[in-house]
Amino acid sequence: MGRCSFFTRIIFVSVVAFAGGVGCQLYERNVPSASTAPVLPGQSTGVFTTARPSFGAALNNFMDRRPTPVQPIEFPHNIHVGKQIACTEYCHEAVTSGPVAGLPSVKTCMICHNAIATDRPRIKQITAMREKGIDLAWQRVFDYTPQAHVKFNHAPHIRAKVECSTCHGNIGQQTVAQRNVDLNMGVCVTCHREKNAPTDCLTCHF
Amino acid sequence: MDRRSFIKLTAISGTSAALASCGSPENTLIRFVPDEDIVPGQAVWKPSVCPSCASGCGLTVRVMDAEADVVRGGQAGIVQILAAKKLEGSPMYPVNRGALCARGQAAIQVTYHPDRITQPLKRSGDRGSGQYAAISWDEAIKELVARLDTLTDAGTQKALACLTNSRGHRAALLDMFLSRFGAPGAVNFEMFGDEVLRRANALSFGRDQLPTYDLANARHVIAFGADFLGTWNSPVSNAQGYGHMRQGRSGIRGSFVQVESRMSQTGANADEWVPARPGTEGALALGFAHVIIAEKLRLASGAGRAGALIEGWSGGLADYAPEQVEKITGVSARRVERLAREFAERRPAVAIIGGAPLAHTNGLFSALAVNALNALVGNVGEAGGVAFTPQLNIAKPRAAGFRITPDGEGTYIGDAQVLLIDGANPVYSSLPVWKLRETLARLPYIVSLGSFLDETSILSDLILPDHSFLESFVEAAPESGSMVAVLGVAPPVMKPLHDTRATPDVLLDVSRQLTKPLDLTWQTFEEMLTATMMKFPGSSADSDAWTEAQEKGGWWGTPTAAIAAAQTPIAQSPSSLAWADPKFDGDETKYPLHLLPYVSSAFLDGSLAHLPWLQELPDPMTSAMWSSWVEINPATATKLGIGDGDVVDVVSTQGSVRLAAVLTPGIAPDIVAIPTGQGHRSFTRYASGRGVSPIDVLSTMTVDRVGSIAWAATRVNILRVSGPDGRLVMFAGGSREEMEHGR
Repeated sequence: MGRCSFFTRIIFVSVVAFAGGVGCQLYERNVPSASTAPVLPGQSTGVFTTARPSFGAALNNFMDRRPTPVQPIEFPHNIHVGKQIACTEYCHEAVTSGPVAGLPSVKTCMICHNAIATDRPRIKQITAMREKGIDLAWQRVFDYTPQAHVKFNHAPHIRAKVECSTCHGNIGQQTVAQRNVDLNMGVCVTCHREKNAPTDCLTCHF
Repeated sequence: MDRRSFIKLTAISGTSAALASCGSPENTLIRFVPDEDIVPGQAVWKPSVCPSCASGCGLTVRVMDAEADVVRGGQAGIVQILAAKKLEGSPMYPVNRGALCARGQAAIQVTYHPDRITQPLKRSGDRGSGQYAAISWDEAIKELVARLDTLTDAGTQKALACLTNSRGHRAALLDMFLSRFGAPGAVNFEMFGDEVLRRANALSFGRDQLPTYDLANARHVIAFGADFLGTWNSPVSNAQGYGHMRQGRSGIRGSFVQVESRMSQTGANADEWVPARPGTEGALALGFAHVIIAEKLRLASGAGRAGALIEGWSGGLADYAPEQVEKITGVSARRVERLAREFAERRPAVAIIGGAPLAHTNGLFSALAVNALNALVGNVGEAGGVAFTPQLNIAKPRAAGFRITPDGEGTYIGDAQVLLIDGANPVYSSLPVWKLRETLARLPYIVSLGSFLDETSILSDLILPDHSFLESFVEAAPESGSMVAVLGVAPPVMKPLHDTRATPDVLLDVSRQLTKPLDLTWQTFEEMLTATMMKFPGSSADSDAWTEAQEKGGWWGTPTAAIAAAQTPIAQSPSSLAWADPKFDGDETKYPLHLLPYVSSAFLDGSLAHLPWLQELPDPMTSAMWSSWVEINPATATKLGIGDGDVVDVVSTQGSVRLAAVLTPGIAPDIVAIPTGQGHRSFTRYASGRGVSPIDVLSTMTVDRVGSIAWAATRVNILRVSGPDGRLVMFAGGSREEMEHGR
């Protein structure tokens, strides 16, 4: 074949792919195609898909890269924990009953901050947000990748009296939550063995 | 590719990925403060009622926080809402007791359907073009009110017509609206309805109602054409009873014989499959009765009124000796005798009839014959036999005030001035020869209350979209499927996703705004349901039934006299009926095959074809999906030179449809079968232009003495068009039988 330049090869591949595509089109011409229903006002016109919103998002997802979370406000965990507010009391209340702990809405903040510390700049900021009807867009810090196929359920761990800090580290001393514990399978299995919890694969991977 | 090119390519894609990942669009959307109090991450289960068919199964709906795209103050963003995520059967509900069929599971897609109508619309293009412009609710209601006022001013209130598929309280409210306005009753047309069996039960047992079978306690079941595990009557309830009959009792396994000419999902479960000639099922049932009476296994007089309806019953059915029955049905005399003895000896035994046998010209006779057989073995009202779900005192709508057929008695729908369409789609499900589409297209004004643009509602001038069932008060009073009386009722599971309004509330609103307001008693549909439920007894002296019903999804139990429906007066007994050969449309030489349209296990009559989960649900017998096909016996196919997947034309006197052939041994050689439900011209992106409907080739034959369409009485011919062209989509890649042989 001799020495073909790089671009010649690219063009060759493109031509083959194009011909293939056209061929498929011709082959499928016999198949009656579903006619498209008219689009009505108020309906979304986009294709209904579970795909990522952009190529970058898809690639990041595929390569398991997550941007460092940037939180809407610098939430001081240390102050709240210092004031003896339990994590599960208001802000992450679903943790005792369900799989995820949940991230609070600005409404939850305002339960207390309608009256408490209303003169602080950050409280003023969230009061203003609430008045504009805009919520806090929290970014998730702790998460498993889809490839890990882990289904973690908080509630049984809380019932077994596992401390939040066992997995989430010293968040009580942090301001903005940081992922400072590397949650790999070893951590889970060690603890499950110590506590005589099941170590069957299907306990977590289902 | 050499190493250098590979590195170059890697560098290029790496750089582009790095660039593309700058600024993730998820982060840029504004989040609005939610309207509801939501605990993130916490699932709650709320009751509801399944809308997919008339069985009225109870649901329990998983509701959790979700994100919805919204526009507020001109700004796009996302907001947390409480949204339904999963439907399951309600564990306590007496009809389905925790189970739910695939159609029920898929019903959640109604709410989130991308082609759902999200706001009131007014036609902006030609009628039928599907072009609409947005309009506000106030304007839309004002427009409908003005149209109705015009009728009142002209004194032509009778020209208001309504097509509906509502049941229960909603139908009662709609009827009250129409009757107070001065309009005739709404039309509720069902091509594959059970009118024949209801009529037969009224004659035989004095109950104008579908029967409930106590399969759980039966020892032996014979079903004539009824796909009772798949699509017919109350399939989830039947399947649970059937499971108990087969495997739920220690040491007892009930036996099951299915009589039908195409093996259905139900037939595939049977111990014995008996293909009888189409339309002769009644003769076979009487053959059984003859043997039972002749061998003195039971007394003929034991059948009472149900027996007296059959000519020759008291004389021991001399015309139905096994040899004669063999000539009529094609089932051997010895087999008739054996099946009859089994039926009499295995107590309790029950016979079921439904589906195609009732859709022949002699369908009423077949139903009466099977009723008499049940009465003969004394199983009516007994454990393991035929029962009737106690009915509650709920206002019944009047009979239809318009006919949709061009000929016949009464007012023709083409003479209406204003038409309301409440979810029904008769343009799809009526015979093409009736020309309903052309008739409706000529009407001066049409208003649709549905959530989707289908063949009927696309003709409308104004669309006032309803909430989905998860967003509104729902109720159902099942006609069958339970041994106790049931009224399923539940409050909304979630807030409306779109700018829609509940149809009953829209009707109440319109009734107040008319120049001569109609007094419909209630302000909202909720008030109407409350008024009914307040009459019901609570579980204890200081509890109220309405609060309890909203928590558990309904009321069930033995009705007190105050809430029980009045017993229907026993219909005057006609003179006894005699056997008549089934009549078929089409000359036998020109159209040698019988066409059996069968109710699709995914779409039922076609009203669920817009749900993509059901489109991709493989048919349980052929594994075909997303398409239409005709099932042909391999011997017949060989004779006609047709191979698996070939494209064929199915031709009747009424027209032809083109679809793929599926060869299957589970069908009699002189029968071909086509599933219903596809062939929509316009019904969302998933159903439009997909497959064909067997209704397009059906003849106008009717069932004697009932008048409903005899949809199994059409003869057809099959002509091969070409080899496979890819229109047939099979989950298993080929016919299942082929795969079995290939192993």
